[in-house]
Amino acid sequence: MLGLLAHRRGAVIFFGVAALVPVVVRDAFFLDSLVLILLWGSLSAAWNVAGGYAGQVSIGHAAFFGIGAYSAALMVTRFGRNPWLGMLLGVALSLLAGLVIGFLSNRLRGPYFALSTIAFSQVLLIAVSRWRGFTAGAEGIPVPFRPGFATLGLGHVAWVYMALGVAVLYYLVAVYLERSRLGLQLAGVREDEDAAEAIGVASRRLKVVAVAASAGLTSVCGSLWAQYVGFVDPAYVFSVDLSVRFALNTIIGGTGTALGPYLGSMLITTVETYLRAQFSGLKTGFTGIYLILYGAVLIIVVRFFPEGLAGVAHRWRATRLSRARAVGAAGSV
Amino acid sequence: MSTILLGGIYALVAVGLTLIFGVMRVVNFAHGEYLMLGMYLAYWAFTALALDPNLVLVIALPLFFLIGLLTYVLVMRGVIHASHNVQIFTTFALSILLQNVALVAFSGDFRYVRPWELYVVIRAAGATFNLSQVVAFLIAMVLTVALFAFMKWTHTGRVMRATAQDRDAATLMGIDTDRVYRITFAIGIAAVGAAGVLVAPLYAVYPTAGLQFVLLAYVVVVLGGLGDMVGAMLGSLIVAAVEVAGSYLVGAAWKEIFYFILFILVLVFRPAGLFGQRGAETLGV
Repeated sequence: MLGLLAHRRGAVIFFGVAALVPVVVRDAFFLDSLVLILLWGSLSAAWNVAGGYAGQVSIGHAAFFGIGAYSAALMVTRFGRNPWLGMLLGVALSLLAGLVIGFLSNRLRGPYFALSTIAFSQVLLIAVSRWRGFTAGAEGIPVPFRPGFATLGLGHVAWVYMALGVAVLYYLVAVYLERSRLGLQLAGVREDEDAAEAIGVASRRLKVVAVAASAGLTSVCGSLWAQYVGFVDPAYVFSVDLSVRFALNTIIGGTGTALGPYLGSMLITTVETYLRAQFSGLKTGFTGIYLILYGAVLIIVVRFFPEGLAGVAHRWRATRLSRARAVGAAGSV
Repeated sequence: MSTILLGGIYALVAVGLTLIFGVMRVVNFAHGEYLMLGMYLAYWAFTALALDPNLVLVIALPLFFLIGLLTYVLVMRGVIHASHNVQIFTTFALSILLQNVALVAFSGDFRYVRPWELYVVIRAAGATFNLSQVVAFLIAMVLTVALFAFMKWTHTGRVMRATAQDRDAATLMGIDTDRVYRITFAIGIAAVGAAGVLVAPLYAVYPTAGLQFVLLAYVVVVLGGLGDMVGAMLGSLIVAAVEVAGSYLVGAAWKEIFYFILFILVLVFRPAGLFGQRGAETLGV
């Protein structure tokens, strides 16, 4: 256990700092940013299970986010039950949807898989926008704030720990995927499906399971998000932009690494919040400037650092280590 | 009748997308953004210079050819041999970038181009449509056919088809594939830019206007088989027919859901397209 902690120094620092911040800082704006970093990070980590570890790059994960958000919101507003029940329902529906999508698009690779996931999220977007009687359509649903843990009406500090709990849990899922037999099999499927198949890995089944698990994890965060923000509307929760966001946080942080999604989320959310705050009140077009930069940086990152922040850090540490060893070896002669 | 008119415009959008995919094996997720830029070009030419969108085409084609070249050299060349995921996210990033350039430069307001053709109403075969639709359709058809002829009969077209068939073999035959990709991308962007100019009078112009078209173009292109130009033509007719039939049967609000469901069904059961070869999807090509 201690060995694991030492090995995961970056994560210990990251989550440790996140846990200490609410003790020191009481500023609502700052805490809000922290909740969002952790929540977007967890969502990206959920995406990473399918997109990073299993190589099933989805651009439709907003579908599962939306299922979670709407399940929680509708459970509260239409059925008068608590959002936890909605979260459970959301997970069940997302697992099912993930199994179906994973199964149907099992044969598809690369851009074909990405296209099929986009289409799936679009179908949900249209269905939820048009089914006015039940979902309130494009107007969206305001989710009432009722204080208390059972109704997920929490203060800022409590939200930080809630989001942190989810983030640590998802991080541990990723660690499990890196160390377990299952994770290694997934890596095999990702790197060379035919080779993995040839040595007896049930690649098809594994891919379906990875997509379904990733969908369920995404859905949980969707439910939390609906309660945290207090409003859901189909144009946002099912948007292609959101799906891309989960993927891009992960890619910037490091695809297929455990801490990467959180690093990516920290970087992007911080820069975004800062620039939004800078330019709010001015012409709305200024948010566009931030997104132009974002697009440009992404093109560069994807091209020159496809392994992301975590990958760059890893490489840097590796060269430093080998240099230190070389020095040590020279000293012992 | 209106089916065919719609189909003609989808075809021009889709042909560019499928050409780029067929030759370069890259799905251009930023395709819709070039359409949006074409719409803005038509808007500004019409508003500032009172130029008719159909005349603007004369400038739009070479301009978008150049924009395509530039995009290829600056962005696409670096990722042409990279993995699918790198390519997918590079074009997505490009899409975010272009959308927001438009947002900053032109604001998010909905804008409209209203040339005189729009007010000329034609009644034929029990349907009503305006001259703008007809002209857009005719020009789109001419451009698409011209592109077919180019691919079929010119030397460059043959070279492009050879590269599409087998990248390595083409290189071994002394084909400069980098030049082929450059031209392919530029032609694809010119086609979609022209489509943007043509549809400007028919739809509102705004920074994310490309999205609805490009989603449709994916449907069209996958129906016809990614990379298959004739398939793209037929695919656009099918999508237009589904759209029109859907509006009649269940109302305009639900019609989009039909072609996405059709899309998923085709991806699942005939991923190589209705007319394509089997097995293409598992290669990821």
